[in-house]
Amino acid sequence: MLVADDNDVAQRLCKRVLEKAGYLVLIAADGLQAVDVALNQHPSMILMDVAMPGIDGLEAMRRIKEAMPTMPIVIASAHSMASDRERFLAAGADNVLSKPFRLADLVAIVAKLAQDRK
Amino acid sequence: MLPGASPRDAPKPSWTVSLARRATPFFAIAAVFAIQVAAGAGPVLAFPLYLTVILLTALQLGRPESLATAVLAAIGILIPSAVGGGPPGDMAPALLLAIVLLVAAVAITEVVRQVRESADQAKRHTDEIAASEERLRLMLEAAMVGLALIDGEGRWIQVNDRLGMILGRPRDELLQLPLDAVTAEKDRAVLIEALALLRSGDIVRWEAELSQVRGDGTRVPVAIAIGAAPGHVPGESLLLVQESDISARKRLDGLRDCLVAVRHVIVGGLTWEQAVPQLLSSLCAYLDQDLAQFWAADPERQALRVRHYWHRDAPSYEALRDQRRAAAIPMGVGLLGRVWQSGVVAAVEDLAESNDYASIDVAQKAGLRSLIAFPVVDAGVVIGVIELLAGHVRSVQDDEVTMLSTVGVEIGQFIRRSDIAQALRRSEADHRAIFERSPIGIVRISGDGELVEANPALLGILEHDFEAMRSSAWPDLLRAYDQAAARQRVAPLLAGITPGGSVQVRAATSAGKWLWLQLTATSIPDSNGRPEHLLVMIEDVTTVRETSDQLAEALESQRSANANLEKLDRTKTEFLSIVSHEFRTALTGIQGFSELIRDGGLETDELRAYGGYIFNDADRINRLIGDMLDLDRMESGRMSMRAGDVDINEVLTEAMARAGSAAASPVEFKADLDPRLPIVVGDRDRLIQVVSNLVNNAIKYSPDGGTVTLSTRSEGGYALVSVTDTGLGIPPDEIGHVFERFRRVRSGAAQSIPGTGLGLTIVKQIVEMHGGKIWVESAVGHGSAFHFTVPLVAENVTPLQRRHA
Repeated sequence: MLVADDNDVAQRLCKRVLEKAGYLVLIAADGLQAVDVALNQHPSMILMDVAMPGIDGLEAMRRIKEAMPTMPIVIASAHSMASDRERFLAAGADNVLSKPFRLADLVAIVAKLAQDRK
Repeated sequence: MLPGASPRDAPKPSWTVSLARRATPFFAIAAVFAIQVAAGAGPVLAFPLYLTVILLTALQLGRPESLATAVLAAIGILIPSAVGGGPPGDMAPALLLAIVLLVAAVAITEVVRQVRESADQAKRHTDEIAASEERLRLMLEAAMVGLALIDGEGRWIQVNDRLGMILGRPRDELLQLPLDAVTAEKDRAVLIEALALLRSGDIVRWEAELSQVRGDGTRVPVAIAIGAAPGHVPGESLLLVQESDISARKRLDGLRDCLVAVRHVIVGGLTWEQAVPQLLSSLCAYLDQDLAQFWAADPERQALRVRHYWHRDAPSYEALRDQRRAAAIPMGVGLLGRVWQSGVVAAVEDLAESNDYASIDVAQKAGLRSLIAFPVVDAGVVIGVIELLAGHVRSVQDDEVTMLSTVGVEIGQFIRRSDIAQALRRSEADHRAIFERSPIGIVRISGDGELVEANPALLGILEHDFEAMRSSAWPDLLRAYDQAAARQRVAPLLAGITPGGSVQVRAATSAGKWLWLQLTATSIPDSNGRPEHLLVMIEDVTTVRETSDQLAEALESQRSANANLEKLDRTKTEFLSIVSHEFRTALTGIQGFSELIRDGGLETDELRAYGGYIFNDADRINRLIGDMLDLDRMESGRMSMRAGDVDINEVLTEAMARAGSAAASPVEFKADLDPRLPIVVGDRDRLIQVVSNLVNNAIKYSPDGGTVTLSTRSEGGYALVSVTDTGLGIPPDEIGHVFERFRRVRSGAAQSIPGTGLGLTIVKQIVEMHGGKIWVESAVGHGSAFHFTVPLVAENVTPLQRRHA
């Protein structure tokens, strides 16, 4: 799966947790990279930050969904006001994870999507 | 007939009387003869008897009778002598006697004849005089003037019938009264004085018009002329009086004078209310009336009611007036009602003989005897009736009726004119009051813009007198109006005014105070509807205008404050969102890695690395909070500057030293400091914070090393500080935002450079607090140059600063 986040601490945390949970984790540091990796390496799902340099997470998601409508994408954002969650779901996110998150929540959301995918 | 006048002819005696008369001497002769014969008396004895008979006959009868008697007497004397046969000598005395008798008879008859002739002559003369006198008398009597002779005391000596008629007295009665006694009291003194003058011969003739008292007590106006009797010696006080009755002329004069008096009142410029007492009193005075009332027909033509009243002083008239006040006469009812209905003059000569008059009892009780009522007519409509009442019986003639009809029409027209004039006056007074008392300025201007009139309010507003207003202030206002009108696309003042349009102009008072005046013009048309002049209403709207300006200003500032508040609100929301995002991002690492550590099972190097991540993010949060609090204090003005003398060059050197010791990257520092830069007043610690921040940024954004140059210069009263690097540079689309909060350049190679995004915002605040400016020049790939200034000498000089100056 792909983790797209510009914050290297967050990258490392996700990578560490998800690898432990048994996923192969690809990393993208901005939106354009995320789109590039998604289209070329076909991850099974994407964990996407929103506030990233270049194109932001939502724009990246839009582009990916355009090419791969069934690609499950979880928005993981520190924008965590109540309205933000609605906004992200409306933009096409399959699920939303608020930062900071509990590691178990991250694993559970990813696992659930993987389950749905199957 | 004049008293003492004798009959013109004695009656003729009858023929028997005449025969007897004529026979008498013959019988007398016969009787004497008989006696002579019987007595046988001598002729001498019979002679005196015969002579007596002859004498009587001569006196009483004519000559033939005398001579015949004398012959008979002679015969009578002779016969006895001749028959008696006496001596022839006896015959001689008888014959002598007979001759004597005859001679005596002839002489007597001659004497008698002469006497008779002279008597006849005298009689003829007398008759002639009498006839002449008679003719004169007839002339006197037939004369249309009264004539009389008076003595010097005015006592009548002789009067003619005409005079008696004029004075309404029989001649005998008149002769008892002197001239002054039949003259009205008011004229008496004049008359007496005139008589005195005539008596003394100072004047020979006096003429006057007098009022005299007739036998029935009424007055008669007469023209009188008194002069010396013709052919009379002056000083003997016999005067001829001529009098003529001029009452007809007087009456006509009265009518004419009445009309003149009425017209005089009508044209006297009075109102109806003022004029009506004069009109009524004039009518009474000239028409010899005692009481006059004006009955007005009410507008609904329901009734006549007394509106005005005039009478000579008398309590009974006042009572009548009070009684009449309540009266209402319907149209066509009674004499007054008929006058109202018909519009024709009506009169009652003697109320005592009339049953036509409604208030007859009251009028008679008041001592009134006659009345005339005439209609007051306006435009063919009877609008009232004037009733005149007199305390005496009074006949009315046609010319008086005509005159009163005329008066009625003229009064009617006068009432209408008066009503119109009064309405006009009232309207004028209203407008004058509005003009004079209005708090709004009003001017009247002619068609060519000349100021005709300005009211006190305007003169007060502009503090001008009228002359200054007319000559200078008004033309200025006119121009200001036209300019303002042109701006508002409104017609100029004199070009025809659309009602309701107002123009506001600026105008100065004589004291030089500027006012806002609102001008509203209205054109006043003449009778043809063309604009004749203009009225301009001028209001001082300075207060209103200023208030509205202030209000608009307040509204504007409110609006902008609202906008600021909204912006602030948006900024705050945005800020909160950004800050929470920053915090949550930092917390994500802290929470995630601390959870990993807590869950255990980690290698030592993992633990150390994760602890490092946690520390960095916690430190970042701390810095973030510190920066935010700083910024908040600065922005809210709560940050106090510790002002003191600051050497900018020294500040730069210290900041450079701090950065150099902390910097890990291979950056070269250069300093280009102006040694003559004056000491400035500022907060040294804050200025070090500014320079350190800029230097740190320069180092951060020069990841591949390079040169950071610090320079100072004195320029235009400012100390100019520049921090120039040769690093990444700032993209053009972001250069405008570098001083905004959380606007970090994160594109390309700069994206991983850490920062709170508040540093430059704080720097800008500090510079501005010192009264300086900060700006940036940059080119991507070539580096950035940040410049800021600090004023060398602030206007608000502090004592400290002055010491170093």
